[in-house]
Amino acid sequence: MVAEPATRRLQRYRAAPWWPTAATLFIAELGLGAALLVPITFSDPNGVDPYLARLSVASVLIALPSLFVRRLQPARPVLLALAAVATTYTLLSAGPQILIDLLGSHSGTFDAQVFWSSVAQAAGTLLIALVAWRAVAPEWRPALRMRRLGARGLAAGVIGSVVLIGLGLAVPAGLLGRVALQPVALGRDFPFLGPANALQAFAQEVQFRGLLLGALERTMSPRWANVSQAAVFGLAHLAISYGGPEAPFVPITFLVGLGFGWLVRRTSSLWPAVIIHAVADIALQFGIVQGLYGL
Amino acid sequence: MASDRRRRTATATVPAALALVCLMFGSVPARAGSAWWSPVALSGVAITKVFATGDTIMVRTGAGTTLSSTDAARTFTTVQGNGTFPPAGTVIAGNTGWSIDSSHRVTHNDDLAGGGAVRTDPASPDLGAGADLLAAPAALPGVVVAVSTNGTVWRRGQDGDWKQALLLLPQSLVQGVPRVTSVTAFTQPLSDAIYLGTDGYAVLISTDGGDDWIRAGPGLPSSVYALSADSARHAVYAGTSNGLWVHVLQELPSPPAYQDAALVWRWIGIGAATLVAAALTLLGLLRVMPRRIPGCDPVS
Repeated sequence: MVAEPATRRLQRYRAAPWWPTAATLFIAELGLGAALLVPITFSDPNGVDPYLARLSVASVLIALPSLFVRRLQPARPVLLALAAVATTYTLLSAGPQILIDLLGSHSGTFDAQVFWSSVAQAAGTLLIALVAWRAVAPEWRPALRMRRLGARGLAAGVIGSVVLIGLGLAVPAGLLGRVALQPVALGRDFPFLGPANALQAFAQEVQFRGLLLGALERTMSPRWANVSQAAVFGLAHLAISYGGPEAPFVPITFLVGLGFGWLVRRTSSLWPAVIIHAVADIALQFGIVQGLYGL
Repeated sequence: MASDRRRRTATATVPAALALVCLMFGSVPARAGSAWWSPVALSGVAITKVFATGDTIMVRTGAGTTLSSTDAARTFTTVQGNGTFPPAGTVIAGNTGWSIDSSHRVTHNDDLAGGGAVRTDPASPDLGAGADLLAAPAALPGVVVAVSTNGTVWRRGQDGDWKQALLLLPQSLVQGVPRVTSVTAFTQPLSDAIYLGTDGYAVLISTDGGDDWIRAGPGLPSSVYALSADSARHAVYAGTSNGLWVHVLQELPSPPAYQDAALVWRWIGIGAATLVAAALTLLGLLRVMPRRIPGCDPVS
């Protein structure tokens, strides 16, 4: 039996409908991962580039040609989804500093700055979703599933929130850093950071379960599309310092991403996942006691 | 034709990769700071009480033995009897004395030197019978943190207002809420920090009078039974399930701030890595994308 030559095998894969999106996701993740992690080996990106501008620049440099180069058209929806994730995260994390630079003492409290940065993240995400809607051919256009919620979706959101909070309390506290509630800080921060966290959750759901899952499931089987978006969701949390222990955060967010993807497909609506994600983010904001080194 | 393309690709990527390698070897790696907590002595021994002042350190072990050191914990000798530790539930910060009285509320004497009167703090909560955990950082006059017997951590603001500052959450489904075992602060104006010891979450710190807390026990056993702030040595000692540990007063860790050339070179390195990563990604995408795409819109 003669082994199939690699070039012929590649040609056979290229003919498969899932190939363009799967290859795009894999290669783009490698590239973005390199942009994120390679500088750590020779520099101190946390001190120099705390807002991950390098990730945003790389994502834009990769996504922009797909709008103009005909051969990259199949990659467009996935690359736009990844650009939405990276660029709006930079907008969110750098937002307070941008507001201080622009408005000085009129930029409000830090909580207010975070709120407005979250508004910018959500608006930026919707803008890129609009670009994706306009610039992607109908057969590859991601289904955002934002049109309906319904009683079933609402119930799924509420029940899912209760389950997730229960799981969060059941797992060992050290895994998440959910050590205590700080009532003074909660009363002070909630009016701005509560809505800010809800907006961030909305933006992330549009990015991962709207744009990315919506694009992947156009060509992949639902199961593989869900696993792929959850993997990207988990890996994206490599870049985020949320104050709690970071090592378990990627596998936990991978599992949560799987659950959200399943729920979005099951209910045909993005909103149940937005509700649960918002509740989880608010719980993390106020139940996590930050560590010295993110340990 | 294919070899031409390969040559062009190599022409573009080799210099970029070489530049990246030069930057990698030319940059100075960031230095790690000193450990937040370091073991001092009595490894393997549970320490339930500690008091430190200068070179003198006294501890009580889990077995009930009192040990004393007069050489900054290098050697310990057994103290006959039980030894005398400072009274619990009383703190002196500057000229003000704070204590928990028999009605379980916080009292203060604002003129210790002049023999002033002891007054119950008007808004002080009832901390419960047996409450004796109290700290008042001299650097934040008027600020007090007290722990009630049900585990609630209270803080008194500089305006005299008392609020619940911290409610510990259960460790897991099967483990309960950890016990708050100790609270301490420097009685000389050295630091704003208030240190809270717990039997499960190691040590938590607040640097703003108890409003916000951070986990500050990396390296430390999770069971901390006693804390003692020693203003003379600028150190906090922790009695834990595994010996005596020390934290020497230091800044909270933060990313280094680079200036001028160091910053420019780092940005150039990060920028080069980003450009190379983006370029290689695009080349990879162009290489693997099918040449003919059925259903592709011709113009976008």
